Amino acid sequence: MNQTTHTHSVYIDGNAPGGNIIGNYNNTSYKSDEDTQIMRWLSPLEPKYTHQDIQKRRFDCVGDWLLETGEFREWRGGEGGADKAVLFCSGNPGVGKTYLK
Amino acid sequence: MIDRLCDQARDGDIAVAGLYCDFLTWREQTTTNIMGAILKQLVGRGDIPKDVHEAFQKGKRVFGGREPLLVDLMRMLRIAIAPFPRVFICIDGLDECLPENLPGLLQSLRDIVQESPKARIFLTGRPHVGRAIQRYFARVVVIPISPNTDDIREYLERRLNSDPKPPEAMDDDLRADVRRTILDKMSDM
Repeated sequence: MNQTTHTHSVYIDGNAPGGNIIGNYNNTSYKSDEDTQIMRWLSPLEPKYTHQDIQKRRFDCVGDWLLETGEFREWRGGEGGADKAVLFCSGNPGVGKTYLK
Repeated sequence: MIDRLCDQARDGDIAVAGLYCDFLTWREQTTTNIMGAILKQLVGRGDIPKDVHEAFQKGKRVFGGREPLLVDLMRMLRIAIAPFPRVFICIDGLDECLPENLPGLLQSLRDIVQESPKARIFLTGRPHVGRAIQRYFARVVVIPISPNTDDIREYLERRLNSDPKPPEAMDDDLRADVRRTILDKMSDM
């Protein structure tokens, strides 16, 4: 999705003048604008902003040990198929689960 | 973790989607919105697939517009996952998800794994949500996270070195005190 399309779509969250404006966009010149609308329609959640915030606050290398564990490698490699599809990092608040890079 | 998985991805053959659960935005963190956010990340990388376009147009035709239904999102997710040899879905802070939303979320994740065996799910949360996860997934790989001494030491050194106060505000003894106190506290966690 193109970042610049945000500026075109501001009104879709507010009271759009008339209900048919979205339908007036054709597939070519406003394609990216419709893409923006679709993205908002799919979900109001925007995890990328939280992610960018965490990127700024964390330190490199923290949690590197996790990548070296056999459990992680096996899970990542997917040898276990659907049987071993889930990896759960369990820990009390504040131990740094979110900040594992 | 999302970045590490992305780093390891080559030639776009791996897709990574992630989400952070947060008490502060609990109202929006429904299973439907979470699945929508995952789908959004998977399809937002390139051209939006035809079936997503169609579902959007269909939703718009309903009087007053209609938000996507979970069943439709799950169908679109299955299609979006299909082209990738491997897809990682990371959800942080499961314990911050409302208790009444958690079963629906885990059920949907299980549906994804059953329909798309190449999907990998990475979850984090307090130990107690482990039991809820195990009700939906018979075999969960659990890795306990505890503060790692090397990580904390490294972090401390950098914070001490970048402290904006004038150097005379902290002598070596005080530094040593800070180090010792924090590392002691850490061993209690």
